[in-house]
Amino acid sequence: MSGLLRFFGAMGFAAACAVACAAQDLRVPQSAVAGEIATISTTGSGNATFYLIGPGVSRKTDVTLGQEVPLAAQDLRNAGEYLAIVCSGTCSSANFYVSAAKPSSITFLVHPSRVPVGQENVVSGVAFPFDQHHNLVLTTQNVSFQLTAKDASLWSHPVQTQNGVAWFRTSSGKSAGPVQVVSALGDLTSRRVLQQVASDPCNLRITGQRTKAGILVQTDPVHDCAGNVVSDGTIVTFTATGAQGTGTVDAPIKQGIARAQIDAPGAAAISVASGVVMGNEIHVGAQP
Amino acid sequence: MTRTFKSAAHILFAAPVAALMILLFAAAPDSTAADTNVQVQLNTQKAGPREIEPLTARGILRDYRFAWTSMAQALESNTLDPFEGPFSGDARQWLRQTVLGQQQSGLSRRYLDQTHQLEVVFYAPEGDVMELHDTAQYQLQIRDGDKTIHDEHVVVHYVVLMTPAADRWVIRQLQAVPQF
Repeated sequence: MSGLLRFFGAMGFAAACAVACAAQDLRVPQSAVAGEIATISTTGSGNATFYLIGPGVSRKTDVTLGQEVPLAAQDLRNAGEYLAIVCSGTCSSANFYVSAAKPSSITFLVHPSRVPVGQENVVSGVAFPFDQHHNLVLTTQNVSFQLTAKDASLWSHPVQTQNGVAWFRTSSGKSAGPVQVVSALGDLTSRRVLQQVASDPCNLRITGQRTKAGILVQTDPVHDCAGNVVSDGTIVTFTATGAQGTGTVDAPIKQGIARAQIDAPGAAAISVASGVVMGNEIHVGAQP
Repeated sequence: MTRTFKSAAHILFAAPVAALMILLFAAAPDSTAADTNVQVQLNTQKAGPREIEPLTARGILRDYRFAWTSMAQALESNTLDPFEGPFSGDARQWLRQTVLGQQQSGLSRRYLDQTHQLEVVFYAPEGDVMELHDTAQYQLQIRDGDKTIHDEHVVVHYVVLMTPAADRWVIRQLQAVPQF
């Protein structure tokens, strides 16, 4: 029963619209820009109800047919498809598109925030241009990506946006320290900072001497292969092997050097490692 | 650009077509509640620079479909709650504005028989944002109170930005364009 009602109701709507929709007509903007005023012209005469349906707007107003209907900038802030409907007994409609305005900001994502030096293709960035109303700007834009450290340019790369996005991927530099990553589009810039840190230790070397408490071992200043001081807190593992067995001590690097006290009364061979990097081995004699 | 019946020939042709479509609607088991029949197909062949893993593709399908189901429900019933999970940022903002505007003007929208041809056109190197193109087809009904003032089958092209949230992908940007 309800299906029949819907059927006849909808038939009535279609038939009524078919007869009378030609009574009024709409002329919508050919090209509207987000946040700018526009007008819709109508034909016919008499009073009517005008509807504007779009992203973020659902407006209903009374209008006089034959006059222009002004659309406020506020109504057209969001880019997308809009539908204008005018009803005077019957309804007619027209759709139009609002495109994004010129870019006014760049959403810029950079990864990672902390990266070891000398790694290939580990830094990446993605930039999206948006207009002042937060619409994605889909027209092609020229974006320039730059990496700078201490005011020196490390790398730059111009990219055109495709589908509203520009991106890059590059290798990390050779020196530890902060690096500014900039995306620029005309006068607009967006900056991010990533921290380049030393890579794995290189030429890890230790020295040791027997003390009353055991064996004191310490590393030489720990650097990576590019000469950057390895970050404090990096764990260095000392392993002592003697007649009584094997023992390990983990020690964090402090001010470039890792130290450990090993309780081994007998002679011991002591080796060192940090991550996957092995260092030298030393032999310390037994307690006299 | 005008969508409705402008010529006599158009009228003669449109009326039976409209009747047929309406007949199909009338035969639908339930067209009063928000339509949950949302079909989504995903094409990941153009995705890059990051490759899309099968689990991610399944998540996108699931969450995009849920987003449109929620949106249809919210815009038909004029409630804000359905936006809270699947939308974020600017997309949620304008959807909320839409519902508030509808509440003020007594309007509502229905998105029926949705099909979405979804294509990934960009997947960020670190996987933190994805851009998709959706060629959506649905029956759009605009209602003023109980009166249907517009009823049309439409094909709309959407540019979509999705980002991963704690347990799902959310839509941050949903922007219709004339063509891709």
